[in-house]
Amino acid sequence: MINVGRARIDLEAVVDSVRRDEVGAIVLFVGTVRSDAGVRALDYEVYRPMAIKSLTTLAERAKDKFGLTDMSIVHRLGRVPVGGDSVAIACAAVHRAEAFAACAWVMDEVKRIVPIWKTEIADRADRVRRRR
Amino acid sequence: MRIQVRLFATYREIVGSQGLTWSARDGLTVRELVDEVVAKYPRLAGHRDTMLLAVNHDFAPTDRILQEGDEVALLPPVSGGAR
Repeated sequence: MINVGRARIDLEAVVDSVRRDEVGAIVLFVGTVRSDAGVRALDYEVYRPMAIKSLTTLAERAKDKFGLTDMSIVHRLGRVPVGGDSVAIACAAVHRAEAFAACAWVMDEVKRIVPIWKTEIADRADRVRRRR
Repeated sequence: MRIQVRLFATYREIVGSQGLTWSARDGLTVRELVDEVVAKYPRLAGHRDTMLLAVNHDFAPTDRILQEGDEVALLPPVSGGAR
């Protein structure tokens, strides 16, 4: 499952999307919006066709690199309030070590190459700034 | 030939539009296109060093020669995830 959308992420559906009988470990990473001082939400902007393409390629590379059975990546678009989930990555493997390693690697790659940008939405309307 | 230029985040705000249709001469490279766009919107110049470039949804080298109908995206450093 690869998706970028406005809907709240259904974490159970993300996990179920990689469930297989031969899988012994599923690692789920969830990125959530942290309450940094003055921030009440993050606004995500995406170059959708390129993001979908690069997430699909990333998932395939991770499967090859770590020998995963399957992998899903779902990222939010639009406004996500503090405490909300902005990204979910599920990695399924026969054993847990590969699943843990793959999840960490993929999240780093998402932040490095997938065309998604976030803007902080402040408590006060006059304070909006980009966050890296 | 015509090239579609896509702009995101800070660049979209600077240019005031998420997309431009650019009339370009044949044989124009990605670098030359960016030179032209920056010349028209000088506030982009300060972002040049960190600008990422994509053609038709893939990262592209700056010496790539553009073709009619190509979509060129000027991408600020990406920042997905939540950290």
